[in-house]
Amino acid sequence: MISKSGKESVVELNDVGVTYPGDIEALQHITLEIPKGDFVGLIGPNGAGKSTLLNVILGIIKPTTGYVRLFGEPISPKNLRKIGYVPQIPYSKGSNFPSTVHEAVLMGRIPYSSPFPWFGREDHRKVEEALKRLEIEDLRKRKIGELSGGETQRVFTAKALVGDPQMLIFDEPTSGVDIEAKKEFYSILEQLNSDLGITTILSIHDLAVVTQLARTIICINRTLYFDGLATRFDANAILPKAYNYPVEVIKHGDHP
Amino acid sequence: METILSSILTYLSAGFIQRAFIIGIIVAVLSSILSVYIVLKRLSLIGDGLAHTAYGGIAIGLAIGGLEPRLANVNPFLVGGAVVLLGSIMITKAIRSAKFAGDAAVAVFLELGLATGIFVTSVTLNYGFDLNALLFGSILLVTWSQIYAAAFFLVLTATVIFIFFKQLLYTIFDEVQARASGIVTWKFDYLLAVLAGIAVVVSIPIVGILLISALLVLPGLTSMQIARSFKQTILMSPIFGLVSVVLGMFLSIIEPNAAPGGSIVLVGLALLVAAMAAKRIKALF
Repeated sequence: MISKSGKESVVELNDVGVTYPGDIEALQHITLEIPKGDFVGLIGPNGAGKSTLLNVILGIIKPTTGYVRLFGEPISPKNLRKIGYVPQIPYSKGSNFPSTVHEAVLMGRIPYSSPFPWFGREDHRKVEEALKRLEIEDLRKRKIGELSGGETQRVFTAKALVGDPQMLIFDEPTSGVDIEAKKEFYSILEQLNSDLGITTILSIHDLAVVTQLARTIICINRTLYFDGLATRFDANAILPKAYNYPVEVIKHGDHP
Repeated sequence: METILSSILTYLSAGFIQRAFIIGIIVAVLSSILSVYIVLKRLSLIGDGLAHTAYGGIAIGLAIGGLEPRLANVNPFLVGGAVVLLGSIMITKAIRSAKFAGDAAVAVFLELGLATGIFVTSVTLNYGFDLNALLFGSILLVTWSQIYAAAFFLVLTATVIFIFFKQLLYTIFDEVQARASGIVTWKFDYLLAVLAGIAVVVSIPIVGILLISALLVLPGLTSMQIARSFKQTILMSPIFGLVSVVLGMFLSIIEPNAAPGGSIVLVGLALLVAAMAAKRIKALF
């Protein structure tokens, strides 16, 4: 499947709608394509359906209407293995798991390693590579429950990387993380996208970060309000409609 | 001291005490293997729910035997086991349906089992029913066939956990992430509940229905306090389980009036408190 940009599309949503029990419509008529190698910023107010949209892409929630294709095919365990997912850390059960950093990252190899109950040499090699890339080799023996928010975020990103993903999905990755650690984390995301060509979807509230990092912005509030290049995103025109209240974007230099 | 030692040695030479130690060790290892998974999956009360369900099932088993002479030879523990397996599947289904909170689903089945047990035993006037043995355990009355059954279920549980080690690990680590990576996590929720059900039925003779969840919770919880890795947590849990059971049983030999079930659980609680204190002291330095 080729996207509008002429590149192969990794995610294709066609008229996707999600209705939760009690007729609560979380998403309506979402149609979009994400081309290979893109860096997408997903924005929208609280309760806009951003996490629902990510869960639909991850195959966790089945759409009530429409369909989803990943890497040109219907969702299957095979193509889900091409995705690395990094959850919101404060809400992830894994962030308090009684394991070392090495063990937690190794768990990311489970869908890719042999069917035997033990891990092989290749699994450990991938873990070492990921720890090095995220610059957390010295945390290897620490328990994950004892790490700072920023360190935990890097551990979970390393865990998502060990399966050599073609796409990374981050759900509000920096909530509970201090400003300095956020900056370093975003620079790692940029590197992963530019050096390894990994398609990245970043769900985030911080508009300044989105416009700085993302090439494409998707703005939703149950329905799609914007899907296009970040350079064409007119915040003053789109946000008041999507957020349903007056929003004035004040620029600091080039960034909102 | 010499008197205590000689009294312990005299007791240990008795066949019924040896059988009690053997089944105690088997049950300690069986429940401790599952303990880490149950605590991390936040299913700590499932042992209680399933034990009370077992009570209802065993009461039905006894009633069937009493009412229908042709079924008099049916082992009430088999009926209890079948009801527990059904209960473990239904509790998991109720929790997964999100119609109940996990603790509420367990509470509903706990009350259902207890109420069924009380109702059935009262209407069938089953006065031969040894309620005390069921509630508080009857480790000294254990037979070799119970020991063989417990050993079989220990091997079965260890094998299942070994085979599905990675999938179970990822499911308890974070179900959402496991599902996102293509693992069919719901199967492992049911698997864990069924294994817990088996452990409950096998453990009833040791600590009884009222204290069963302690065996399924304390070893894992204690090892989590001091282990430095998941591997250590898994390896230390059976050690704490074994120490609780063996020391608890020695306690009840030294003080013959002390019920083994209570002693075992009190030793387990003491180990937990000691591990929590050790963790706190270590954090100070």
